Amino acid sequence: MIGTLNAYWGERGAVIMQPYHTELGAGTSNPATFLRVLDPSLPEWRTAYVEPVIRPMDGRYGENPFRFQHYFQYQVILKPAPDDVLDQYFDSLAALGIDLVKHDIRLVEDDWEQPTLGAWGLGWEVWCDAMEVTQFTYFQQLGGIDLEVIPAEMTYGLERLGLFLQGKQSVFELEWAPGVSWGDVYRESERQWSQYNYEEAPVDVLQRRFDEHEAEAEELLEKNLPLPAYDQVLKSSHAFNMLDARGAVSVTERAAYIGRVRKLARRFAQLYVGADGDRPG
Amino acid sequence: MATVLVEIGCEELPAAACREAEAQLPELCRRLLGVEPSRVLITPRRLVLLVEDVPERTPDEWVKGPPVAMREKAATGFAKRHGVAVEELEERDGFLGVESPGRPLAEILPEHVEGILRGLAFSKTMRWNGDGLRFPRPVRWKLALIDSEKVVGEGSFGRRFTSGPIEMPDASAYLETMRKADVEPDALERRKQIVDGLDDLGGWTDPNGVLGEVVFLVEKPVVVEGRFDARYLQLPSRVIETTIQHHIRAFPLGENRFAFVANGGDQETVRAGIENVVEGRLEDASFTFERDVKVGIDSLAERLGAITFFQGAGSFADKTERLAKLVEALGGGDAALEAARLAKADQASELVREFTELEGHVGAEYARLAGYPEAVSAAIDEQYLPDGADAPLPQTETGRVLSAADKIDTLNVSFGLGHRPTGSRDPYGLRRAAIGLDRLATEGNLAILRELMDPEVAEFVEERFEGLLEAPVEYVRAARRASVRDLGSVARLAQALAALPEERFAPIHTAYTRASRLAEKEEGAAEALDPALLIEDAETELVQALERVDPQIAAALDAGDFGAAVESAAELGPLLDRFFEDVLVIAEDRAVRANRLRLLLNVRDTLGRLGELSQIPR
Repeated sequence: MIGTLNAYWGERGAVIMQPYHTELGAGTSNPATFLRVLDPSLPEWRTAYVEPVIRPMDGRYGENPFRFQHYFQYQVILKPAPDDVLDQYFDSLAALGIDLVKHDIRLVEDDWEQPTLGAWGLGWEVWCDAMEVTQFTYFQQLGGIDLEVIPAEMTYGLERLGLFLQGKQSVFELEWAPGVSWGDVYRESERQWSQYNYEEAPVDVLQRRFDEHEAEAEELLEKNLPLPAYDQVLKSSHAFNMLDARGAVSVTERAAYIGRVRKLARRFAQLYVGADGDRPG
Repeated sequence: MATVLVEIGCEELPAAACREAEAQLPELCRRLLGVEPSRVLITPRRLVLLVEDVPERTPDEWVKGPPVAMREKAATGFAKRHGVAVEELEERDGFLGVESPGRPLAEILPEHVEGILRGLAFSKTMRWNGDGLRFPRPVRWKLALIDSEKVVGEGSFGRRFTSGPIEMPDASAYLETMRKADVEPDALERRKQIVDGLDDLGGWTDPNGVLGEVVFLVEKPVVVEGRFDARYLQLPSRVIETTIQHHIRAFPLGENRFAFVANGGDQETVRAGIENVVEGRLEDASFTFERDVKVGIDSLAERLGAITFFQGAGSFADKTERLAKLVEALGGGDAALEAARLAKADQASELVREFTELEGHVGAEYARLAGYPEAVSAAIDEQYLPDGADAPLPQTETGRVLSAADKIDTLNVSFGLGHRPTGSRDPYGLRRAAIGLDRLATEGNLAILRELMDPEVAEFVEERFEGLLEAPVEYVRAARRASVRDLGSVARLAQALAALPEERFAPIHTAYTRASRLAEKEEGAAEALDPALLIEDAETELVQALERVDPQIAAALDAGDFGAAVESAAELGPLLDRFFEDVLVIAEDRAVRANRLRLLLNVRDTLGRLGELSQIPR
């Protein structure tokens, strides 16, 4: 599946990237999306990559065959969005072996918003016989900055697509490789990580880490090093997600934490977009 | 005369945007083409105007320029603007001007297409390329035809995947051409096809009202029946309903059947796929449900201490304690108290985390499964009612008590923390809670003591009566100052005052306003009335009447008999008339004057039991 998508989008000029090296809540946060899309000096950028997504709150101890704290997205960015972007996307489904005529494939309004990144866009969830297989978004704003060049983002849910293609009812039974199921590979890890995320992760350490990452991000922004600063933003965001999973965040504290991450993301975006020319990468 | 077709092809528009376009297109057509559209056809992928009898030229137009007297100064500029020489300007009625010839429709229609694109106003729009146009979703093609002449664009597109680009031979052939291309362009016709399909299956319901959206989710509706494994029927029915309606926009058919509206596709393939999706969702819900049931509602209730209700207002366990006290104060019995103890237990459940909109229902189901009496679970179920302006009230007495307690607590806590709603911002739904309380007190006949609400809350809640009752707002404002203890009494008193015929009400009103005006203007009223200082008959009679009437009014108000209270008050009218006629209040003797002022204050206080009557304009 991943090979097919890599080949399909590779042929269409996408740079095939690798997953990022710190915990992300969505493939959107990967610098290959967030930074490239934001960059006004980059009029064109196409990329595709797999991203393991870490969402501590979604863990179910490996007992629920539909919810996990770790799963895979396949992320495609086409900047600018070509006029035939939907046709290209639908053809990718056909390349995966989905018969577009036999199935009921449609686009259902679903607008996307990521408050911690100060980001939003309009788009759809793509239904294949009512199963949501992709989130499709035209980004409008990232880091609180209106985008000049509008990209299209396609996020395929690889486990969901796998269920669909293999006709399976449970992700545990998904054939991950010949003779090897998803459950064989990930179920125990789901159990242990759920226990860690919900019960064991030390709250005081996480709170301290959040503060430290935040402070370091601010310091790096001061020193005009937006790229390392961005990693610190991601890490503080993950620390917040962990605190949330530990039940250590009340409703109002939640708003305050989100506000702090958003402020960082905004400051980062302004520096990154403003600091033309001598920026590395 | 010509037939005009304008089609704007889009990527899939949200249903709300389709409805906005549907509402605005006729007016836009009138404004631009000067003609009523024959058809407005909307699908998720196209906005279409079909217009018959359009003149093929716009009429010639006389453009009035500067007055003849200004020829020297202004004619050159005017002529230049209109592309003619100064000598070519004509003179009519003392003005210079130019006859601007009408333009052919073919020339002007492309401008109208742009005019439609830019003239539609949507609540949510986006950009997708650099041309600056904002629309709910990208516009991918435009087509405009005058009869068989293509003026804008090349052709149209049929349904995705089954029909590619299509040729449009003639504007008037639009409907049949699209139908051949697997698209039903007419939203009403699609709706009819869907309803017919649902009727054929029978027994369909649409509790959350998704039909209106489904009409704009498909271009070619095909109603497909699906079933799920009957073992999922153990789930609370609302969970099944929400899964079917909310997640896949399908319609429950009762038991384990449902109807899905597909946008084409092979029926058997689609059916198998949807059943799989529904079962997957229900399996997910069952998993959570079974874990919750294993824990049980009583244990869930014990976990509430760990869940914050509201920053600064403690946990849900604290809220539960406050609810119990309020339920008691509201006269709730054992069942209501039990319901209060369990009311918020489902906040600790996993199922409510997944289906937040089902709070209350989930708790009720868990209470039933734990064997609690129906009065208890029904109250838990109904605690959030009424949840809208016309939504029903709780049907059970315990439900009404619990609902009122919940609303009072939420209001007291939110106001206490300074979260008073402002004009446009009411994130905690406090206005709705206040209106709910008012309706519980009036329509629900629930006795709600005003003192249970913090003063600021009571004021906010009672203010809501102004929009809720038929009585004019002044009567409501007057009644809010009345000495009644019960929230519903404020409303009933306002209505009784407003219902009183003018000739009965006028004397009371006059008496109240005169008494209070005079008594408040003059200083030096006596502390208490001294009978020995009463001189005139009119005075004595008024005092006697007051002594009789005052307790009558108080008792009638306590008994909720507002008609009687108002009647008693009316008895003072003629006596006061006589008093003002016969008695000089500002008497020479200071003691007498002080005594008379005291008497007037007493009159005001007695009538004031009915409210601040001076609020009511005469």
